[in-house]
Amino acid sequence: MSESPQQPMNRRRFLTVVGASGAGAAVLSGCSTEKVQKLVPYLVQSEDQIPGLATYYASTCTECAASCGVHVRTREGRAIKLEGNPDNPISRGRLCARGQAGLQGLYNPDRVRTPMRKEGGAWKAITWDEAIKLLAERFGAAGAGLRIVAGQARGTLTGLMNRVAQAQGGALVRWEAFDRDAERAANQRTFGRGDLATYEFGEARYILSVGADFLETWGSPLEQARGFAQSHGFRDGAMARHVYVGPRMNLTAMNADEWLAPRPGTEVAFVLGVAHAVVARRGGDPRLQAAVATFTPGAVAQATGLAAADIERVAGEFAAAAPSLAVAGGIGAQYPNAVELCAAVNLLNLAAGNIGTTVRFGADPDAREGYAAIRRLQEEMAGGAVTAVLFHEANPVYALPASARFGEALAKVPFKVSTALVLDETAAQCDLLIPNHHALERWDDAAPRAGTFALMQPVMQPVFTTMHTGDVLLKVAQAIGGASAAAASAPSFEALVRATWQQLAAAQKAGDFEAFWRAALQRGGHYAAAPVQPVSLASAQVDATPAALGDGEFVFTAYPTSMLHDGRGTNRPWLVENADPVTKVTWHHWVEVSPATAKRLDVREGEIVRLASAAGTLEGPVYVFPGIRDDVVAVPLGWGHTEYGRYAAGRGANALDLLAAPAGPALPYVTTVGVTKVRNAFRALAKTEGNPRQLGRHIAEAMPLEHAAAGYTIKQSWEKLGNPEHEVNTEAELQAIEGFEEAFAAARELGNYAGEQPMWGLAVDLAKCTGCSACVTACYAENNIPVVGEEEVLRGREMTWIRIERYWEGGTDGQPVEGRVVPMMCQHCDAAPCEPVCPVYAAYHTPDGLNGQVYNRCVGTRYCANNCPYKVRYFNWKAYNWQAFPEPLDLQLNPDVTVRARGVMEKCTFCVQRIREAQHRAKLEGRPLRDGEFTVACAQACPSDALVFGDMHDPESRVRSLKQSPRGYHVLELLNVRPAVTYLAKVNHRPAPAAAAGHGAEESH
Amino acid sequence: MRRVALGGTLAIVAGVAVLVAAGSRTEAAAPQQATAPATPVAVPWPDEGTLKGPKQPIYFRHDVHATQYQIQCQYCHYSVAVASEPGIPSMQTCMGCHLVIGGSDTTSKVEIKKLRDAWNAKQPVEWVRVHYLARHAHFPHQRHVAKLGPNACATCHGEVQRMPQVFQANNIRNMGWCISCHLEHGVSRDCTVCHY
Amino acid sequence: MATSIVDLPTGHTPYPPITQTHADVTRDVVGTLSPPGKGYLALLAAAVACFVIGAATFLFMVFKGLGYAGYQPPIFWSVFITTFVFWVGIGHAGTLISAILYLFRSPWRTAVYRSTEAMTVFAVMTAGLFPIIHIGRQWIFYWLLPYPNARYLWPNFKSPLMWDVFAIGTYLTVSSCFLIFGLVPDVAAIRDKVTGWRKWLYTRLAFGWQGTDNQWRHYSRAYLYLAALCAPLVLSVHSVVSWDFASSLIPGWHGTIFAPYFVAGAIYSGIGMVLTLLIPLRKALKIEHMITEYHFDNMAKLTLLTGTILFYAYGMEYFVAWYSGNTFEQTTFWRRAFGPEWWGGWTMIVCNAFVSQLLWFRKIRTNLTALFVISIFINLGMWFERWVIIQSLSNDFIPYAWDSMNPTWVDWFIFLGSCGWFSMWFLLFAKNFPIVAIQEIKEFIPMPRKSGAAHGGHH
Repeated sequence: MSESPQQPMNRRRFLTVVGASGAGAAVLSGCSTEKVQKLVPYLVQSEDQIPGLATYYASTCTECAASCGVHVRTREGRAIKLEGNPDNPISRGRLCARGQAGLQGLYNPDRVRTPMRKEGGAWKAITWDEAIKLLAERFGAAGAGLRIVAGQARGTLTGLMNRVAQAQGGALVRWEAFDRDAERAANQRTFGRGDLATYEFGEARYILSVGADFLETWGSPLEQARGFAQSHGFRDGAMARHVYVGPRMNLTAMNADEWLAPRPGTEVAFVLGVAHAVVARRGGDPRLQAAVATFTPGAVAQATGLAAADIERVAGEFAAAAPSLAVAGGIGAQYPNAVELCAAVNLLNLAAGNIGTTVRFGADPDAREGYAAIRRLQEEMAGGAVTAVLFHEANPVYALPASARFGEALAKVPFKVSTALVLDETAAQCDLLIPNHHALERWDDAAPRAGTFALMQPVMQPVFTTMHTGDVLLKVAQAIGGASAAAASAPSFEALVRATWQQLAAAQKAGDFEAFWRAALQRGGHYAAAPVQPVSLASAQVDATPAALGDGEFVFTAYPTSMLHDGRGTNRPWLVENADPVTKVTWHHWVEVSPATAKRLDVREGEIVRLASAAGTLEGPVYVFPGIRDDVVAVPLGWGHTEYGRYAAGRGANALDLLAAPAGPALPYVTTVGVTKVRNAFRALAKTEGNPRQLGRHIAEAMPLEHAAAGYTIKQSWEKLGNPEHEVNTEAELQAIEGFEEAFAAARELGNYAGEQPMWGLAVDLAKCTGCSACVTACYAENNIPVVGEEEVLRGREMTWIRIERYWEGGTDGQPVEGRVVPMMCQHCDAAPCEPVCPVYAAYHTPDGLNGQVYNRCVGTRYCANNCPYKVRYFNWKAYNWQAFPEPLDLQLNPDVTVRARGVMEKCTFCVQRIREAQHRAKLEGRPLRDGEFTVACAQACPSDALVFGDMHDPESRVRSLKQSPRGYHVLELLNVRPAVTYLAKVNHRPAPAAAAGHGAEESH
Repeated sequence: MRRVALGGTLAIVAGVAVLVAAGSRTEAAAPQQATAPATPVAVPWPDEGTLKGPKQPIYFRHDVHATQYQIQCQYCHYSVAVASEPGIPSMQTCMGCHLVIGGSDTTSKVEIKKLRDAWNAKQPVEWVRVHYLARHAHFPHQRHVAKLGPNACATCHGEVQRMPQVFQANNIRNMGWCISCHLEHGVSRDCTVCHY
Repeated sequence: MATSIVDLPTGHTPYPPITQTHADVTRDVVGTLSPPGKGYLALLAAAVACFVIGAATFLFMVFKGLGYAGYQPPIFWSVFITTFVFWVGIGHAGTLISAILYLFRSPWRTAVYRSTEAMTVFAVMTAGLFPIIHIGRQWIFYWLLPYPNARYLWPNFKSPLMWDVFAIGTYLTVSSCFLIFGLVPDVAAIRDKVTGWRKWLYTRLAFGWQGTDNQWRHYSRAYLYLAALCAPLVLSVHSVVSWDFASSLIPGWHGTIFAPYFVAGAIYSGIGMVLTLLIPLRKALKIEHMITEYHFDNMAKLTLLTGTILFYAYGMEYFVAWYSGNTFEQTTFWRRAFGPEWWGGWTMIVCNAFVSQLLWFRKIRTNLTALFVISIFINLGMWFERWVIIQSLSNDFIPYAWDSMNPTWVDWFIFLGSCGWFSMWFLLFAKNFPIVAIQEIKEFIPMPRKSGAAHGGHH
């Protein structure tokens, strides 16, 4: 860890240095086909860059508002991987899929490479001096008509923007697509304060989520996932219970023990019904009691269409559990009455005594308006009151429904500027582009919450001739002079950041600033405890009348996915090809329809349907989805960009087109639509999934909590549940295995895993794995895995070395539908079927228990892949290595890993490059490897710590102890290939069978 | 398209080359007779382009630096003992001496001027790379230096300290070269030690 | 020959009486070598054209990538391996008829064995191309061969694919030797009747054959040994090929029945191809009186036998799948019959198991038109048998990975090319070499009394 390199090194130079170190886009070739190589030295050796060794810098992720701390792995002066920062209280050393894909924002081939000015409808590159001169003129003249729209930016930069705008009499508009406006409004009403609470998922014993997708986009997903794994992941015979209430099963619902789907828009009544039970048990504020008095189970059942029994049970469980936690405010369930829902949840948490324990106030640094503000701006622009506008990290033209007419209003503004890194829909309408540095190229800071101060530092020289927006504003302010110059005077934005942190240091009673500053740079920020402020009930007022959605036949919900978020992820190939965790669809949007509805409408997967709402229409291929109410259709957000680069533009349709944009505190993402089948129209969905059911093959195992608590093995659990015994127990097979044991023991005598050799293994705890697919992205980044594109995915040729298999259970004859996930990677079998069949020994077993794959020896007979029972071998059918990394995406490639060429087989290597690196280090230091000294990329990324890697020979190793868990099992055990990967069965915290009658989710089907 | 074709054919040619090399490996590995008189003081050696190895932008003489002035390899190749990459001296390192040392004879004067000009122009010298492995072979220098000790470098690179101009002394691009040495020292010949 | 097959073992159908003299036979056979007509040239041109298309497609694939063929993981083998096994199978009739039937002294082989041997050699030549075509890096196919190298690396002799290399290699060598060797006396017989480059060619191929007793003695001995050497290959080669599949653990491949099942299938498809080729050929070359219904009747019986064995094998596969109680096997076979690709499975069963049963009727066996149609069905059916076997890959252990086969134009053009390549060689052979074994036909010609002594114990 160390400070960022100060000495200059332009891009071309570090490229060539990369060449010198033999790294870069190393293309595997039969033998030597390299042409003359050049060795280009540094002019001045930077003290913290040693060729061949990685340097890590601490920084902060900017992919969503959560602002997780990251470690940036750099080699020869270029960032090659983003990893979680262990010091950071939000990320705790983990990082989600979106966060890791930030690199593809840095190296995106469609980045705006210079400042550009629109002349006669065409973009023309200009110099920064010209850009700043122009800005100074127009902003100076703008006066009160100046608006600066800032997205998630928070901290020093926002302050600067505010001052610059106000110096002119203008204003700063703080808006982000998924801002939690409804919660703010609700908190304002219930507690008299418009800031957000933070939630302690790790401490809750009972989690009730009413439409809040806390594992995907709502709040601080990574932190919540970790908390969820803490409380809900099975530990010492106990686990929390998680109930999800909402119209469709998103990833969060898929990880719930129970999914209830009340009539859309009636969730308020349900929540108050639960509150009713809690109050009945614990009493509470009279206003509270009055508010929930009428919501008896019967009445709620009436309103919601759920079974009274279920409501009573859930309410009882919730009331009994302490501490419990109820959350609401997810985008996918943001009804017109979203504020009422959040208010109801506030009351519930209050009644259950969760305020101050699992729900904490006082940590949200800044309250703001969001949707209301951007609507006001729209009106001002339409009214011609705005003369100049600057968009920073905001893309309202895309992220607001077309019916909001933001684009039309924007057209009325005489001077429009965007700092966007990639030409997005809003930038395309602007007159001037002043591309900002990427977060990894700039000084910046953020305050995601009180007590947590995150810092960003440049980890490498800018890839393109961009400029820090902060510096631009400072220069512009100076050029304007007068009030502006006074309001924004600093030699550089870096100096401004330091100034801010000097104040912070003073406030934190830190003595020597330089020491404080260095520590902050090394740890990625300053972390103090967040103050918890007491709150009291201001008003118990809640209106439980169902949301007025419209008169369409179907309820329509536009929901965010964990990959694309609000659409900012759609230009990152890693996120577009990394299948949606629930539907497993890539590269295109889809229309979710329940099986019954599909039958009724006579549509099959891939057939096109047209959705028509009051606001507009949308067409899309059907995806038949067991996890959705029959009267609901859903479409994911994030698709249908018209600009935003080669990967996003013109892909799919924008679900927002169907939404109206009414006045109000929050934008409703739910409405009603009519659905009609488009005749003879079809579009195959590029799914990574073949068959959605595991056909009783014991791939994704689960056992009830009682069994897990009783320490049953998975087989004992089957027997208790009256399932047929596993074939592996037949006499013949047992004998076969014994025979094998002997033969295998003999083989070991001959050297495998002999003596000092380690035996690498992996344990996967399915009780923790949520299927978020962060591991998949980590693998993409670590192992130079190419993205192959939609056509190839349609042929099943995606290259993800680790994939998350999702299998549906139940969903038929009254059984609740359950989604199970299994991360599937090379199992590194002791008796690997792929090894003996390779005619050239490209696939073979290494002495340390790896299933080696020697790319340069592989001739591509593909027999190994045929013979692999787990189907985890991937073949380079085409020259993906030339197609997948358009300049400068190739700068991200990991120099420690060969880039595979056309015609060779590849697969998970247990990150052998990391193993070797660690072994080299240990050897030079003359010591043995320590457990946990290093880990594989997937395990390192996993937010919920479901994957654990280590040496199975080390009796102290974590992986070994996990492998001895009674829940442990091998996939396809009966094949007796002896995998090195052990799975720990998922644990289902189901309600007691007696109460389970008449399942809510079923009634909705 | 054409690149693939080229790659394919070259690969075949190379494949054959390996066969040939296989035959002539022992001969290739035979000790390299010094190409300069083994005197502590390297005689001036005019660069008439007749020397082995590729012509470099600057006629840098390893024999002068390493033998005559007894500069350790690691003074310039600074990371060889700690990292997989040996490290190329930065221009600053060169200028560290050549700020004052201007050269004794005409040849060296000319060459050192080139260096100084490049430094003043802030333009790095683009050396022609002599030793490199196929990109699918990973060679951790630090481990080999640690194992082979003082003569580590010469084992593969030949007696560079006697080369006026560096050339590939041993057929290091041939896997047989690695294997035979690994056999000799009885160290691992597992494929994934180098290939991953 | 020394052990002349004139003295037949009892129980053999008597060979139909031949009315011609030695001279006639030679004349007729040499007649087949007369300058080609338009029809022949047209056929040859078509064959060459197909081959060129296939070759061009292959080059395209080498430069652009295997991905342009219809591979769809988890189906990592597709039309190429299907076609490979198809051609290897075709190659089996030849050796069977020439070697095994020779050892069994069955007289009817004489008229047909030359053509079937030729077919064998060319079929194996075709099959041999596919392992190279289908690998990912065709330009280093030679890594599959064991040769000393600086890397101290050897191929993996545990791999069935290595066994293949040797099996196919051996088979090609031996069957070519057999063909060329058998040609010697006949080439010598026509050597003196032709001129120009043919004269030159035949003179070389005749290896100075004079037809002396001494030469005959050595020749017939050698022929016998060579036949004995070939016989086991008939069983071994296709068994080895079958182990490419059987030694894996894919449900639908992992079966002990595979070796006999494949050998029977191979012979079945081989005879099928012989029929397809000979029925038109005998007309075209006007040698109906040499290759008669008698011969076809016998070949049809062989077809019936092997077809029935296949019928049994298919039945057993399903039975074992059910009886094993192995859910993976069961799923595979269920989908083979009723899954999305049901049509493949049924084509195979109908064309091979059912159609072959028609041959119980003598009327059909001796009706050449019917036989020809049936033989077409056999070829189709046997190609689909391999297709269906490959298809087992589409639904193995992990349901999440399932997919279906979906070939592209690349697959089909290369298949077409292989047909062109095969036909090209066969056509060239038919016009340039005696397609019927002159000497052995002559053995059935009753000896003229007076000159009988001149012929001695044999000839």
